[in-house]
Amino acid sequence: MLELLAYDFMQRSLLAAALVGSVCSVIGVFVVLRGLAFAGAGTAHAAFAGVTLAYLLGLPPLSLAIVFGLATVWITGWVEEKGRMKLDVSIGILYTATMALAILFLGLMKTYNPEVYGYLFGSVLSVTKEELLTIGGLSVGVLGTILLLSKELYFIAFDQEMAAASGVPARQIFYLLLTLVALTVVIALKTVGAILVFAMILIPASTAYQLTHSLSQMTLYSMLIGVFCAVTGVLLSYMFDLPSGPSIVLLATAIFFLAVCCSPKRLHRVHPE
Amino acid sequence: MTHPIIRFDHATFGFPGTIALEDISLSIPESEFVGVIGPNGSGKTTLCRAVLGLMAPLSGTLRVLDCACEELRCHHRALIGYLPQKGMLDRNFPVTVLEAVMMGRYGALGLFRRPSGKDRDIARQALMQVGMDHHRDSALGALSGGQQQRVFIARALAQQPRILLLDEPTTGLDLTAQHSVVELIQQLHRALKLTILMITHDINMIRSRVDRLVLLKTKLFAAGPPHEVLQPDILSQVYGKELVITDKDFVIVEDYHHH
Repeated sequence: MLELLAYDFMQRSLLAAALVGSVCSVIGVFVVLRGLAFAGAGTAHAAFAGVTLAYLLGLPPLSLAIVFGLATVWITGWVEEKGRMKLDVSIGILYTATMALAILFLGLMKTYNPEVYGYLFGSVLSVTKEELLTIGGLSVGVLGTILLLSKELYFIAFDQEMAAASGVPARQIFYLLLTLVALTVVIALKTVGAILVFAMILIPASTAYQLTHSLSQMTLYSMLIGVFCAVTGVLLSYMFDLPSGPSIVLLATAIFFLAVCCSPKRLHRVHPE
Repeated sequence: MTHPIIRFDHATFGFPGTIALEDISLSIPESEFVGVIGPNGSGKTTLCRAVLGLMAPLSGTLRVLDCACEELRCHHRALIGYLPQKGMLDRNFPVTVLEAVMMGRYGALGLFRRPSGKDRDIARQALMQVGMDHHRDSALGALSGGQQQRVFIARALAQQPRILLLDEPTTGLDLTAQHSVVELIQQLHRALKLTILMITHDINMIRSRVDRLVLLKTKLFAAGPPHEVLQPDILSQVYGKELVITDKDFVIVEDYHHH
């Protein structure tokens, strides 16, 4: 096992997986608690549309992934805030529209480009040094912002109107959360792919939700589960010659169901006093 | 008269095409306990949201803490403790009692600042004031409705507010818990000299406890001591003729009285 670490590509892959696992699982806590699950899924597909357009125009793929991702979450947030229609409907429209754009851009490429499909299905074992630096920089930015504003993020996840009423700039924090979700999706795009990235945001946090009643513990557990699944998934993928994205996500899913079965909330259900 | 801490001056609130509250003029001095009553859709929650600075008047003015409500900044809002309607909160959110009460400190603390030991002490003090400190490490979702309501009152108190806004704090609670919560609110009013606006449908529960009743039905129908507001002619204009006052001063529905 240790000889694997001697390879440069494996060192990069494991580091990228650990970064992606930690960022996705921490932002996932706020996504799960604030009820933004579907918004994240829509963002992932929007970011993929950005990647395909970037390849078509010969631009850096992550830059347009960020633009598409941010545009999607901000429109989603605006629609929710204005209450003109239900959030799941507006996301559903954006989700399918951006996916249609991605398919359109793929069609316009004329030739098969395996790199583009790497962003769709994930290829952590082929992460380059430059991509690792981008992933690292964005991860530090996202995790640092969450650390600095965790109390406000917890509060708006609990009750945004009450947070606003208590003097927290809740609206601005909500848009910041959406921005962090979009950036997280971009960070994870290369590692687990557009189709599976949202599982990495959703599953570790949902697993941690089964295990504790405390916000701070939920965040810690989610992060540990996210990093463990990402790193172990990469190792399993290398050892058994499996695709990396599905290996990570299926491992996380197995742990989720284990947590549901062994959840202290379920086994020792507390009845109101 | 004491300087008003909340002052409506011909204020109208609503959305384009819909008026929720019209031409309200009302002054509430510091330390007054005011009960806000009225039928469903009469504008009670709109009044609450306006005082919180979440709605600007379409016309007229509302000043809260000497500031126009549309200009209330975060530091003003931190001085207004708020207990929303029960159904608006996710009671199964993974949060301990102390974590929930600590949220009351976040607005006053401001961005980027971590809660200190002093903030934790203030939260513990608030829990003691509502008799829930021994539950501080319990999961919020494991508590009964009445206990959860005490925790949310503690969260509002942890803000160290000058105004406490309570939106139907007894809704969904059993009779014992309703009495217990209303008694707690009365005790807090006496002990902390807070200005309290309590929205409720339970006229009989609060009539002997508040300094003043405000009766709404889109407009301000009456405001004054409970015995002045709870008059048959005033109530019948707002609720209809089926609401009557018994010989023991209870407000009940007429059908029930006859049977």
